[in-house]
Amino acid sequence: MNSGNSPEWLLTTVSAVRDLMIKRLEAESLDGDAKREMEMALEELDVMWEELQGQAALLVREKERYAEFFEYAPDAYLITDAGGSIREANQAALEFLNAPRDAVVGHSLSQYVAPEDRVNFLARAVWRTRLQPREREALAAEFSVRAIPLKKSGVAGLCWLMRPIKD
Amino acid sequence: MARDTEDLEAIRLDLRAQVDQLADERQQYLEFFERSPEAYLVTEADGTICAANGAAVDILQRRKHHLRGKPFAALIALERRREFRRRLRALLARAVDAQGSWRTIIESPELRTEVTLTGRPIDRAGTVSGICWRLEALT
Repeated sequence: MNSGNSPEWLLTTVSAVRDLMIKRLEAESLDGDAKREMEMALEELDVMWEELQGQAALLVREKERYAEFFEYAPDAYLITDAGGSIREANQAALEFLNAPRDAVVGHSLSQYVAPEDRVNFLARAVWRTRLQPREREALAAEFSVRAIPLKKSGVAGLCWLMRPIKD
Repeated sequence: MARDTEDLEAIRLDLRAQVDQLADERQQYLEFFERSPEAYLVTEADGTICAANGAAVDILQRRKHHLRGKPFAALIALERRREFRRRLRALLARAVDAQGSWRTIIESPELRTEVTLTGRPIDRAGTVSGICWRLEALT
């Protein structure tokens, strides 16, 4: 859930190219046409950088806002790939499973279904089964599932909503 | 000059790729939120609405763009607002009993809807920056 996309190295590269261009502009060897071309390229670089920085900042803010919503949604959510391997889990899901993130993400969802319910678990559209949290007794839970694209890979994944079934 | 143009193009493509990746990630979370069959609302810590998904808009019976920036309390029936504010303060203080659900009434110009409201604080670096709410209509 981290943004992990800081374009700092790009900023450094852009600044280096910009400095290089300014130095060449100042060189006496440039004729009039070359100088104008260089000035235009410099202007283009500045405008491009400002526009993309603005777009990136907006996207980062929006992504963080929605990612925060996923993380702190009042319901327990897991996102798995089509093979049932858990790609993401929110806070409510970790509390529900009584497990730290590294014991959930990368593991199979069926690992948290009570062993005797695992075969039946995969055969239904709405799942009522016994969930097996770590170091706690199994409890009745209802799953509902919908398709969601997985980020980066773009392939289909599944978004699981887990709720305890109250007596 | 050709070298400068190549450098510029390479930088442009790198930047574009990063912006596209950000857009993809944002889209995934946006779809998760918007297409959820559950009704969700996100407010600032002071209760100002910053986002509502389609299912929440259906329950609240207001246009989405009218919801943004509006105090959530203003959508609660007058006689239930005091309780709402007390619950909101408890969520902000992370009181032990604050994360339970409670029944309240949403009031729009056309109708009153009884709902179950559940809130969960959004934690940003140890402080509550907002609340995620789930609304379940009881009628």
